[in-house]
Amino acid sequence: MIATIVEGRALLETVIASLIAGVGVTFVFSIAIWGFGRFADLSRSERPIAAGVAGTVAALALVAVGAAVVIGIVVMTRK
Amino acid sequence: MSSDVILVIVVGTALAFDFTNGFHDTANVVATSISTGAARPQVAIGVASLLNFVGAFISISVAATVAQDVVNADVVTPTVVFAGLIGAIAWNLITWYFGLPSSSSHALIGGVVGSAVAAAGFDAVLADGLVGKVLIPAVVAPVLAFLVAGASIGIVYRVVGRQRPGMVTRGFKYGQIVSGGLLSLAHGTNDAQKTMGVITLALVANGSLAAESDPPTWVIAAAAAAIALGTYSGGWRIIKTTGTRIIKMDAAQGFSSQGAGAAVILASTHFGFPLSTTHVINGGVMGAGAGKRVSAVRWGVAGNIVTAWLLTLPAAAAIGALAYGLTRIFGTGALGPVVVTLMSLSLIVAVFARRAQRGAPVPASSG
Repeated sequence: MIATIVEGRALLETVIASLIAGVGVTFVFSIAIWGFGRFADLSRSERPIAAGVAGTVAALALVAVGAAVVIGIVVMTRK
Repeated sequence: MSSDVILVIVVGTALAFDFTNGFHDTANVVATSISTGAARPQVAIGVASLLNFVGAFISISVAATVAQDVVNADVVTPTVVFAGLIGAIAWNLITWYFGLPSSSSHALIGGVVGSAVAAAGFDAVLADGLVGKVLIPAVVAPVLAFLVAGASIGIVYRVVGRQRPGMVTRGFKYGQIVSGGLLSLAHGTNDAQKTMGVITLALVANGSLAAESDPPTWVIAAAAAAIALGTYSGGWRIIKTTGTRIIKMDAAQGFSSQGAGAAVILASTHFGFPLSTTHVINGGVMGAGAGKRVSAVRWGVAGNIVTAWLLTLPAAAAIGALAYGLTRIFGTGALGPVVVTLMSLSLIVAVFARRAQRGAPVPASSG
């Protein structure tokens, strides 16, 4: 009875999408902050290669967050 | 002629509700950014207002749910919609008076359901739509936001726990500019649609629009403008409750709660669930607090908020039914809505005057 009233599939997809988007974006953004922090520390320690890797990880994470935000908005506008 | 007058009153009342929705819910959108110092209050509110306006144009699936899936359109008249709006506005103002972040969405749906029941009995309610698209998402959404924010903050502390605090705080404050913007957009798209749905319902009931029509462009633009103006006007009392009284928040918690809120609202809007943005965001704030330390959440304040949530649907429904009864005392013409509008305006003025006598709204920074 409840299953027919509730749009179960839509609700489940909402839950999954929210978990992936909410936790995923926060995790990736944390990686970006971690990367920038490591980049600053390693640069001060004069370890340019390691600093470069950390900076690249941070930049890629930021791009991923930006892409996730744009994809979220595009998905919304297509409904 | 009389029905056109009623329709004009309904549209005006709906836009007034939309204004109070923005005014009441400003806190949901900006409180975390302001309380963590990620944005100055006026800047946060200005940007939120703009993005609420833009967000209103993104989608109409929630508007369709409100217009078609909650009450039987055959028994709905413009007067029923009017009385429902009065119920919603009244409950919004009552909860604003006490500084409680209750749901404008559930107030609206409760008000319309109450007035429809008063007009045509319980057959007027589409139980499947009310339960499946409103009540169950109403329970699921804040719990989901709580879990998402709680999981997010746990991950954040694991990833950046050993970094220098200054760097982490600065990073998440920048992040909050984006997450807060996304939240404003999400709020605009979900909440403005409820007003669009109600105006569309009234237009269909009046015969001005075919059944199951999408909201006309002027309705979308007017609803967007009303919620944006309401948001810009701000609601400091609730900003303080959401931003400082539930938990004492750091920037990472602010980012996690806003991210969780935006994700849940955008996903729900996509599937046409008219959920309460208030419930979601407060669920996110509590989750971000509990994810750090369960005792960090002021559960007494959280309990008051949950009580207001539980009361919203029945209280707004009762006021909506009462407003419908009052309106019908004056017959089926325009006199009833005119009299009830004047009575409501008088009450609103009295509430604001009493509030002003008790002291000016408290700025968030003071808490």
